[in-house]
Formats: sequence, structure tokens, C-alpha cells
Amino acid sequence: MIDAFVSGFWQVLAWPAFGYLLIGIAVGFFVGLLPGLGGLATLALMLPFSYTIKQPVEAFCFLLGMLAVTGTTGDITSILFGIPGEGSSAALILDGYPMSKRGEAGRALGAAITSSVFGAMVGALSLALSIPIMRPLVLLFGSPELFIIAIMGVTFIGTLAGASLLKGLLAGGVGLMLAAIGVDPQTGSLRYTFGSLYLWDRLDIIPVVVGLFAIPEIVDLAVRGTSISEVPKTKLVGVIEGVKDTFRHFWLTVRCSLIGVYFGVLPVLGANVAQWIAYAHGVQGVKDAGKGAVEGVLGPGAANNSTRGGDLIPTVAFGIPGSGSMALLLGALLIVGLNPGPEMLKQHLDVTFAMVWVLIIANLIVAGLCFLILNQLAALTFIRGSLLIPFLLFFVFIGSFTANNSLADLIATLIFGVAGYFMVLYGWPRPPLILGLILGKIAENYLWISTAAYGSKWLLFPSVIILIIITIVIVAYPTIKERRGRARYERPDDAI
Amino acid sequence: MKKTAFALLLFFWASGLEAQTPFYQGKTMTIVVGTKAGDVYDLYARLLAQHLPKNIPGNPNIIVQNMPGAAALIAANHVYNVAKPDGLTIGAIYPALYFDQVIGRKEVNFDWSKFAWIGSPVTSNHLLYMRADSPYRSMADVVKASEPPKCGATGTTSTAYYVPKLLDQVIGTNFNIVAGYQAGQDIDLAVERGEVVCRAFTITAFFAREPFTTWRKKGFVRVLMQTGRKRDPRLPDVPTIYELMDQYKSPEAARRLATLILAAGVFGRPYVLSPNTPADRVNIVREAFAKAMKDEAVLADAQKKKLEIDATFGEELEALAKEVSSQPAEIVERMRKMLGM
Repeated sequence: MIDAFVSGFWQVLAWPAFGYLLIGIAVGFFVGLLPGLGGLATLALMLPFSYTIKQPVEAFCFLLGMLAVTGTTGDITSILFGIPGEGSSAALILDGYPMSKRGEAGRALGAAITSSVFGAMVGALSLALSIPIMRPLVLLFGSPELFIIAIMGVTFIGTLAGASLLKGLLAGGVGLMLAAIGVDPQTGSLRYTFGSLYLWDRLDIIPVVVGLFAIPEIVDLAVRGTSISEVPKTKLVGVIEGVKDTFRHFWLTVRCSLIGVYFGVLPVLGANVAQWIAYAHGVQGVKDAGKGAVEGVLGPGAANNSTRGGDLIPTVAFGIPGSGSMALLLGALLIVGLNPGPEMLKQHLDVTFAMVWVLIIANLIVAGLCFLILNQLAALTFIRGSLLIPFLLFFVFIGSFTANNSLADLIATLIFGVAGYFMVLYGWPRPPLILGLILGKIAENYLWISTAAYGSKWLLFPSVIILIIITIVIVAYPTIKERRGRARYERPDDAI
Repeated sequence: MKKTAFALLLFFWASGLEAQTPFYQGKTMTIVVGTKAGDVYDLYARLLAQHLPKNIPGNPNIIVQNMPGAAALIAANHVYNVAKPDGLTIGAIYPALYFDQVIGRKEVNFDWSKFAWIGSPVTSNHLLYMRADSPYRSMADVVKASEPPKCGATGTTSTAYYVPKLLDQVIGTNFNIVAGYQAGQDIDLAVERGEVVCRAFTITAFFAREPFTTWRKKGFVRVLMQTGRKRDPRLPDVPTIYELMDQYKSPEAARRLATLILAAGVFGRPYVLSPNTPADRVNIVREAFAKAMKDEAVLADAQKKKLEIDATFGEELEALAKEVSSQPAEIVERMRKMLGM
């Protein structure tokens, strides 16, 4: 095993594999930065290029390396401009962008990048450590368990509600309702499609997230007529401070990384959900949550990177990809002659370790690169808004469009942009809506599947009961804490 | 007289000119694919985009445009109604879209029989696998079973849904279909867990990748049925649905339903042009497609990309499209019932 571990390392550093890794990182770097344009779409676009590659290790150095860094650089856009760089980076806006506004962009970026590297390490380590127990680990979660986990996620709506619990719950309810749009998979009936074929496939998460979060910030920037940072450029609060923050909240970062791994292993859930759960966990009990608390940056920053490692676990253990991007990666690997599956744990163990190394090395390189330019990036928040807005709008719409190459995506972005603007204006929190939209579909499907497959017996599965108890504890935890006399804080004016 | 002669002269001159510069020269053709990039339909389309031009007089440039959504219905409607019928827009659409037309979905804005059919690079026959440790060792066991086996499916338009449903109709099985899985791979994982025990999907995929390689090696699953007219050489011991229908003496109406549903496999991964495309251009593209499907370079490239080539050509698909589009009310009703409408 040690041999394979070492051999994997040298395979990644060998030429030309390392060269491919660098190309992958370069592509992933920019894809991550550009709003909306995500790892999945780019992977699909890059697929033809990988056909010319001969060796499996070289192929995933390129593709996995690219995928690994999109999560990291996506965080940068979220923090600097309040625009999600990736669908899975949206949660960083909540506290990262307020930090930029008060001139702490450097600190937020430092924290995001460091926690990203942290997350990647934990993800890669989990992948390496879980090799002996991979198969039972993946088989642990059936549809009933996934249903309860989705419900557990829904309960986080309460934590994400911010100042007004009622508004939060209502927004979450609207999200759940929006999740019902589309062709229902059980009966094939059309729900709320209003004769539009675009709505058959349910709302795509990218246009909704980009609309809800990006448009209001851009409008706000235009109205304020200043730079993003509201304080003058005296001295940037240092990047180093953010790095230190990560170590100050060491265990929080580790816990959020593990949340990411866990959601990565689970089919369907992935980084899009993990970021919110990690955010909710990160800011639990933090006083200035939503106003620029560094914990709100560290949590999702770590989680959206560590999911990549978790994602690979079912792919390697069964040859069954855990997410859309893994399915594409698997397709590419097949073409170069590697058939991921159980043999990855035996004959090709070194290749599996090479994947672990790609995750680690890619993130280290991109973090190093980021630190070189972070101060320059942070300086962007001091540029006059009117100079930034055209570029931001352009990238926002390009990003939304790439989700399905459909004009309807742009309309959806606009509609949710307007909705987002009014939500901010009247103090309605946006994260519950997103979480409801993502989880509604998952919860509905797995409830149906569980009932169709097991009748009502699944309610008595030990694993289900344990998960229900955990959910109740999570729900009750803040109340218990409150009873212990923690001061409640009310801030009706700053919905997140 | 003079005028006529002049007109004739002009006509011959013009047609001569046309012969000198082929229509497709300097043009850009677009293949509109009804799926996202990276999907198998997309991979085939990109293979064609690369190899068709050299077989078309004038060597046009071909680009691929992804137009995913509503199970390729958006792309099909687009090619039929929006794209100009000038032979420059090829649609790469789902083979089972005619289901929606037959059962009368109002969102269908095309007539399947009127598309100009180019061909399909592959025939997709299906199989039904069953976990080997389940009590169902053959289709006979499934027919007799008091508790029917649970098969996983994504949505009601997927193969995994309609193939077992069809078996219910033609040989009297009573599959319990658990729909709602996100993707095919999630069903495979559910089979590993034992949540469901069977799934219907393409034979090609079963022999192309994991987890099936391991499953076959370990005897984890058993194939109970295949949908081709003849047994696939890789599955010599597995009965076809036609053999099963003979065995169970399926009535004529059920057979017609089977023919209607399974035609989707023959349509494979089809390419179409807009209905009013000039016949000569349709022929040019059809010929180019036929040539490409026999070209050694294409076959080698396809093999490298793990794409099977087993082509069906335009004329055959055109005839089949006419056949499936007009169905008696009784069959339509059966089909609606089968698809849960």
C-alpha cells in the first residue's frame, strides 16, 4: 500500500503528466473565477481534448486537476463581487462579500483559500483512508437514508433564516414549491410548466443562484455609485490575517471539510448542498453572521473543496460515478483505457493514489498562485463600481447561459434577479429559498423511491431512526442553547 | 421561340454553374444535439461533425450545438419548425420522441413521419438484468412471482421504465417499477444495495464499462431478456422478447404494441433534417452519412472513443417513421395506459 502511495505521487509528478496537470489548473482557475460557468460544463467542453492523451494518469491530471481548482477560485468571485463563481460557491457570498464591503477582502480571500486547501486535503485523505472500507461505506446510504438526510438539510433552513425565522421558513417553503416545477418522474405528469418546455426539466440551479445573488449586488453597486469596498483603500486587512483565521478555527474547518466529504460520498447531494450545511454549521451561534463573520467563509470554503474527494469514493469503489462531473470524468477515463471500478482498489491502487495526489497537488499549486495575486485581486474591490458593472453583468449572463445554452436561462436569471432584489430590499433571506429548491427535488424523489421499494417498513430501519434522532437534536440545539441564557440578537434590517 | 431558347440557355448555364460550385461549399452546417455536451448522443454527433464534411461535396464546416431540454423535445421542435429547411441544420434527437406524438402530447410540434431521415450510427437494443441472488432466475419466474421484482428507473420516458412496462403488457409480468432515481448509475448503486433488483438498459453499455464488467465476472446479475429481433452474439443464451411473445402466445395487439415501442431501438441515435429540405440536399447528406459509416477512419475513431457503429440508413428510418406514426386507436390507448397517461 505504501508502495502504491509513493508510486502514485511520482506518477503525477512525471512528465508529461505534470504538464497536463498545470494546463488543467490553468483552465480550472479561470473557469472557477467566471460566474456561472461551472466545472461540469467545462469538463464537457474539455473532453474532446483528452482524447489525444495516451495515459490514464495524464488524462485525469488534466481533467481532475481542472475540476479540483474550480471550487477554490469560484470562492474568490463570490467574495469579491458577491457573484457566485460556481454554483457551489454561493454560500461564501453571505459573509465573504460583506467582508469585502468593509475593506477586508484580503482577509476573506486568505481565509477562503486556506480553508479550501484544508478541505482538499481532508477530502484527499478521506479518499485515501477510506480505501479499505469504501464499499460498505457507500452501501450504507440507501434511499430512505438519503430522504432523511435531505430533510435534515431542510431543517437547516431555520439556521439560514437570519433575523426573521418566519420569513426564512416562508422563503424555504417557496423554494420547496419551486422544486416541484417540471416533469414528475413517478407519473410523468407536468407540474407548473405552463406550456413551457424549458420548465419540463425543473429549474436549473445556476440561473436561479446567479440571479438571486448576483443581480441584486450589481444593482446595489450601481445605486451606491462607489466601489465595492465602502471604506477607502488605506491599507488592506491582510491576507495573512485570513490564513490565521483558519488556524484559529481549526476544528470548525476540519468539521466543515468532513461535512463536504460526507455529502460528496452521498449520491446526488454533493457540493451544492454541502456548502449551505457547512455555512449553517459555521455560523451557528456566531453573532455577526451575515455581516462578515469569517466563520461563514471558512465553512463553505472548506466544504466545497472536500466534496471532490468524497465524490471520487463511489466512483472508485464501484465504477459508479457519484455526480454529473464524475460521470463525465469516468467517460474520459474509459476512452484512455482505464476502467474505474473495484480493480482500482487492487491492481490499480497506485492510480487511485495518483488521484489523491492530483487533488492535493492541484490545490497546493493554485493556492500558491492565488496568494501571489490575492492583494491585486482584493484591490479590484476599490475600483469604481461603474467600471466593474459592465464586465460583471456580461459574465453573469454568459455564465447563466452556459447552463443549458438556452435563452430561457437568461430570462430565469432576470426573473430571479428581480426577485432577489426585492428579497434584499424587504429583508427576506435568500439561502433558504435555494436550499429548498435543491433539497425539495431530492427529498421528494427519495421519499417516493423509499415507499415504492419498502412500503412503510423503511421508517423502522435503525439507520433511519438514528438519522431522525440526529435531525431532532440539530433542530432542538439552538433552543437548548437559548434556554441556557444566550442573548438573542435581532437585526430586522440585514437579511442575508 | 427565341425567348424560350434563351430561357433554356439561361437554365442550362445556371445549372452548369451550380454543378461547378456545390451548394455546401463554404457553408457551415450545424448539428443540433438534444442533450448536454458529454452525453453519448453528443459524442456520436461530434464524431460525425468531424468525419461527415469530407464526404459532402464542397466540404462544409460542421459545428455541434447543444440544445438540451425536455428529453430532446426542444431540439426536435427546433429542427422541425425554427431551423431553415436549407439542409444546413441536422438534428440529433432521441429515438423515442414519437411516443409523445402517438399518445398525443400537445407539446409535440412535429410530425415524426415528415422529418427527412439521415440515419442512425447505431441500433440500441436493450436487455433486462436481474440480481442473481434474487428468486427470479428467468422470465417465467417473474411471470409466476407472487411478489413482483422491483426494477429501478429514472423517469417515465426512460428505457428502464418502458421496457418492463412493455413486458407487463405482452407476457403478463407485473414489475414493480421504482422511478425517481437521478441517473442510470444511481439505479446500479441501488441494485448493489439491494434496494431494487433489476434494470433495463442498452446492451452496448452492459458490455462497455464498470460496474458491469465486475458484475459479469462475479455472476452478480443475470440477463433475463433482450429486445433485438435476433439474439445478440454476446448474449447467446438469453431469449429475445419476440421468443418470449411466441412462448406466451401474446395476442396480436400486444405484438403490435411491442413493435411500436421497440422501434425506438432501431431509430437508435437518429439524425434528421427539417421536413421541407430540398430532396437533392437530403440525398447528399444521406450519402455522406452512409459513406462515413463505412469509412475505415471513422470506424477506427469510433472504436477508440468506445462508440459502437451498427448503422441504419435514411430510407429505412423513413419507412419506419411512417409506420410508427399512424397507429389504430386501440394501440394508442394501450400505449397511453402503459406509459401511465
